[in-house]
Amino acid sequence: MSTLEAVITSIQRLSATSRDLSALHDVLKGANDSLRTNSDLQLTTLDQLDPSKHSLGYLYLLDVLSCGPVSDVVPLIARFINGCDAAQIRLASEKFVSICKRLKDKVLELRDPLRGVAPLLAAVRKVQVSNKRLTALHPDCLQLCLLAKCYKAGFSILSDDILEVDLPRDFYLYCYYGGMICIGLKRFQKALELLYNVVTAPMHVVNAIALEAYKKYILVTLIHSGQFSVSLPKCASTAAKSNFKTLCTTYVEVGNCYNNGMISELEAVVVANSSEFEKDKNLGLVKQAVSSLYKRNILRLTQKYLTLSLQDIANMVQLANAKEAEMHVLQMIQDGQIHALINQKDGMVRFLEDPEQYKTSEMIEIMDSVIQRTIGLSKNLIAMDESLSCDPLYLGKVGRERQRYDFGDDFDTVPQKFSM
Amino acid sequence: MAPSSSSGLTFKLHPLVILNISDHFTRVKTQLNPPSSSCSTRNIPTSIHAASPQNVRVYGCVIGAQRGRTVEIFNSFELVFDPNTDSIDRSFLEKKQELYQKVFPGFYVLGWYSTGSDAVEYDMLIHKALMDINESPVYVLLNPAINHSQKDLPVTIYESEFHVIDGIPQPIFVNASYTIETVEAERISVDHVAHLKPSDGGSAATQLAAHLTGIHSAIKMLNSRIRVLFQYLVAMQKGDIPCDNSLMRQAASLLRSLPAAHSEKFNDNFLMEYNDKLLMSYLAMITNCTSNMNEVVDKFRTAYKKNSRTGPTGSRFPFI
Repeated sequence: MSTLEAVITSIQRLSATSRDLSALHDVLKGANDSLRTNSDLQLTTLDQLDPSKHSLGYLYLLDVLSCGPVSDVVPLIARFINGCDAAQIRLASEKFVSICKRLKDKVLELRDPLRGVAPLLAAVRKVQVSNKRLTALHPDCLQLCLLAKCYKAGFSILSDDILEVDLPRDFYLYCYYGGMICIGLKRFQKALELLYNVVTAPMHVVNAIALEAYKKYILVTLIHSGQFSVSLPKCASTAAKSNFKTLCTTYVEVGNCYNNGMISELEAVVVANSSEFEKDKNLGLVKQAVSSLYKRNILRLTQKYLTLSLQDIANMVQLANAKEAEMHVLQMIQDGQIHALINQKDGMVRFLEDPEQYKTSEMIEIMDSVIQRTIGLSKNLIAMDESLSCDPLYLGKVGRERQRYDFGDDFDTVPQKFSM
Repeated sequence: MAPSSSSGLTFKLHPLVILNISDHFTRVKTQLNPPSSSCSTRNIPTSIHAASPQNVRVYGCVIGAQRGRTVEIFNSFELVFDPNTDSIDRSFLEKKQELYQKVFPGFYVLGWYSTGSDAVEYDMLIHKALMDINESPVYVLLNPAINHSQKDLPVTIYESEFHVIDGIPQPIFVNASYTIETVEAERISVDHVAHLKPSDGGSAATQLAAHLTGIHSAIKMLNSRIRVLFQYLVAMQKGDIPCDNSLMRQAASLLRSLPAAHSEKFNDNFLMEYNDKLLMSYLAMITNCTSNMNEVVDKFRTAYKKNSRTGPTGSRFPFI
């Protein structure tokens, strides 16, 4: 009893400056175990503390409380996340992360993921030390956004460039969920980038996340660029290269069929393996891939012909009639995938060149933003370069090579080990 | 500071004269103070006044034409100065004058030039000596000290006037204002000479860099001058400075003459060139990034590669 009150008074006293906070942190760490067994700790005790000022202490008590059976923990944690002070939280980030995970589990239990999206978004921003660091909360937040189908909220997290990663598993999950969110938003380019990251990530043994990502990666490549190559990119790990193909044979088959360009064969393959696609929950994606085959064939026609009649298009692409061909072409013109003119009187389609002259003032703004992004990227790379140059591993290896050019006593030998 | 001239003459100076004077001065200074210490014999040129290289003074003659009240100084040549008698060598001057008269028939000796920070006493003697060639010569003085904060040219033109000092009418130097005047051909050649590149010829990259630096500094100067004008006008609007109507009229006429070209075709061309330049910068930026990336990857491989590598290409290594 007295320990609980002592803890609360010390929290209230020591929450002002950073020196006090570290002292408070030690106190709380010491008192953690005793708090767990303390039966006096109730929700009402939390009312004595203010989440924004006493975030650290509130966090510890909340952690202890939410372990046990407490009702209505979701709004409590949500309110805390919204009100807490980021600097204090970062001192005990693991506890914060575990609380947020508990929130996520509870929300999933209640089958209402939407309630957890906003708090977790705020939590990610608060626990992130810098904009470029991946935390353990990113994948959880993305998972909730996926389940709640609010893709736009998840997309806002994806727009940061990640430079530092704590745990590889977080990275795999982040890229996989991120890819799925982008597929949901129909931004196939970004989805492709994220899934590519997972597929080519370093791994010793085949990873279930990477395998699922590879399946989606194949389908998204088909939708986006219309090509399929059986070999993985060069930088993929050897484990991935040797094992992926054998484990996803149906998808590889779909890809090969797509390359041949025959719609009927592709549909046959899809129907044959639909149960497997269903199991992987990829059936919708596969259907999108099939419809994209029409687009790819029409695109190929633009490279061969200048004008074509709608009936001819329908015949070459194996569509039912000219009307459907017209609809497809119209859709593609609207999406900006081809440039063409449809003459309705005689049903002729004339394919045009890209009319972009790159000399408008809107182009200037686009170029400006792109150049700024590249400048930012260059700065990041230079920082990485500098930090690598100071890495003792690198210096040791470079020093060993330098010795070959030793001319007698001219150069000092570089020390092999650095003692800091 | 010498008082302003009241003769009512307008002076126009060509940049060729300034280049000639500065070239003369630099040559003499370098010959006296050679950059490498391996030179054993030294050529002592004839027109040095003082021994120490800091106080080297060079002398020469300026020629040009006078039409009515306008005096236009076109060209200049060097003169021989005798340090013992503190005077110019007359025979040399006359010989050179004859030669130049043959090539440029319309030009007469208008005066003389020298270098230094201010006019000194015996300059007046030289000035008086030249008065028999031209009854009112001009004296062009170039200050060779490099002062980065100074925005104007370090060239001053002096005339001589008779003022009554201590009851005796004496000639003194008075400051005359001048403008720089140039012809297109002269401007191009002076520009070319003035921006000499490093002696090894320089690759296209250094030339481009020098060209762009020149443009950058010119734009910076334009920007700072516009800012001064703007602040002045704002202060006038707020009432801190009394209104000067003539200045405001000048500013208004300047603004009304802009933009100089305002047609559809101009906008089109302008945007196209702008976009082209942006695309080139983008390409340069991407190349820069790629080279940075290359360095990072090289360092990473050296640091983390194991000695025995299996597989045709190095596979990436897992995080620890």
